[in-house]
Amino acid sequence: MTPEILRAIADSNQWWAIGPEMILGAAALALLVLEILLPKEHHRFIPTAAIVAQAVTLLGTLINFQTAWLGQETFAGMLRHTVYGQVARVFFLVSSLLVSFLATVCLPRTRMPRIEFYHLVMVVTAAMMLLAQSNNFVMLFVALETITIGFYILVSYFRDNPLSLEAGLKYLVMGALSSAILLFGIVLLYGAVGKVAVAGQTHTGLEFPILADFLRANPDNFVATVGTLLVLAGIAFKIGAFPFQIWIPDVYQGAPTPVTAFLAVSSKSAGIAVLLILVHGPLAALQPLLGPVLIAAAAATILFGNLAALTQRNAKRLMGLSGVSHAGYLLLGVAASLTVSWAIGAVWFYLTTYLLAAMAVFGVMAHLAGKDDADQELEGYDHLAKDSPLLAGVLAVGVGSLAGIPPLAGFVGKLLLFVAAFQARLYWLLAVAIVGVVISIYYYFGWIKTAWFETWRLPGAAESPGAHPPSTEPTLAGRLTLGLLALATVLLGFFQGPLGAWLQR
Amino acid sequence: MTICLNHYLVVSVLLFALGFFGVLLRKNTLAIYMCLELMLISSTLALVAFSHFNGTLDGNVFVFFVLTIAAAEVAVGLAIIVALYRQRLTVQIEELNELKN
Repeated sequence: MTPEILRAIADSNQWWAIGPEMILGAAALALLVLEILLPKEHHRFIPTAAIVAQAVTLLGTLINFQTAWLGQETFAGMLRHTVYGQVARVFFLVSSLLVSFLATVCLPRTRMPRIEFYHLVMVVTAAMMLLAQSNNFVMLFVALETITIGFYILVSYFRDNPLSLEAGLKYLVMGALSSAILLFGIVLLYGAVGKVAVAGQTHTGLEFPILADFLRANPDNFVATVGTLLVLAGIAFKIGAFPFQIWIPDVYQGAPTPVTAFLAVSSKSAGIAVLLILVHGPLAALQPLLGPVLIAAAAATILFGNLAALTQRNAKRLMGLSGVSHAGYLLLGVAASLTVSWAIGAVWFYLTTYLLAAMAVFGVMAHLAGKDDADQELEGYDHLAKDSPLLAGVLAVGVGSLAGIPPLAGFVGKLLLFVAAFQARLYWLLAVAIVGVVISIYYYFGWIKTAWFETWRLPGAAESPGAHPPSTEPTLAGRLTLGLLALATVLLGFFQGPLGAWLQR
Repeated sequence: MTICLNHYLVVSVLLFALGFFGVLLRKNTLAIYMCLELMLISSTLALVAFSHFNGTLDGNVFVFFVLTIAAAEVAVGLAIIVALYRQRLTVQIEELNELKN
């Protein structure tokens, strides 16, 4: 190699641009090495090491939030660094930290290996962070598949439990199907654009800016339209939007509780992040097509999620189906963001409130779950307020925020989305969303009622068969984490100023 | 008759549709899995055809990524199917329905 080539390589050194992802990936590999090197009695420190590594990465990302790469493309146009990409990085890191905390509660109950779980969570999180900054369909597809394949393993992690394996198989079939649909859509977009020469260099439709230019010039191209619809369908599978939500209840119920939380929060947010990138980047010229599709999907998703959740008696299925309706509210935000630009900030704000509230609820579920992780009937929450006031309080705050009760963060999140939809003149969709919120209050309050109020029984009748005290008493760190989540949910309902300003920058 | 881009695309779309309906209609998990792979492979066929007729190399490079991902997916997927078979002694999809409320 000549010195010139070496100098060119040194000048184009962009590895610092993906520093957080690199640190996370290296730490994930280091965990596996630690497992081999450390003697067995010290293995219990490895989860702590994983959490510390993620906290350090989070701290570094926060300190370096205004990175020098903002607004630039790196790695020959593979990635594009934006403020929302930075927000997504912080979001996914916080989420993975909380998932790791849930894992420290749930995993010791089984005889499964533990280290690999944290390894997979960290690798999947790194892929999500890359996905939220992708600027090329190759990058997008590879990052998305890293996430999906990681989730196949995580969902079926309790491999001695047939329910977990069955959920894994269902997620596998549905995930692979959606990936194939997404890939075919990408191929059609690539084929429609063909060969583009810019400044003497050959470019293709796999690059987002080139595709955006092509669609601006030919918005009626048939192949590109079909490709766009297939790509949207593939992403709708990932976020669980109607009519691609059939896998959600079964997979959420069978998966280990930390993985259910990871699916509900991180996986859904990754889908929404990539949808935002696509509709505001390469597909921006197709607004006349995207608007009606997003609006119809949002309305159907909100209604289906809320109506299907009404009859659920299993806490995990309930969280899954109510999560479908939350995906619907987020789609409403995405549809509004086509015309109202601050709606992107509102979507991220809603995701933040959902992260806090859902993680609080899943934290309570993780402490209550018995030997069989899939068996979490709502009857099990009887007497919770008496057995453990802390858990019942956190549950009430979390569920209340999910329902959107006024002083809590979830209310402000919904309010911002609805105001955005109002400004975007989506009146019908807004009406559907409000009906959805009213329906959701019924099943959310049923859950709170089970935990807080005595159910009247015939004198002398047997106790409710499902009721049992928490199987794992929360540790000091657990109490602190759950308390902080609930506190943040309450505080964010009163003072959203700093975060709101931060999101709209 | 010369074989042009459209011929490749028709074959590719047919294979994709075959795989798609196979996933929806087949009852055996392994057959479903083969249909999923068929969908991925039909996409790579279209990718290579577009790449050849448009005169760009990106599509050919993308195929390597897709093949790697498909291999990883098969490795994980077959492991899950084998583990499930050990527990239930069946891979028929209609017998795998314990997750119902």
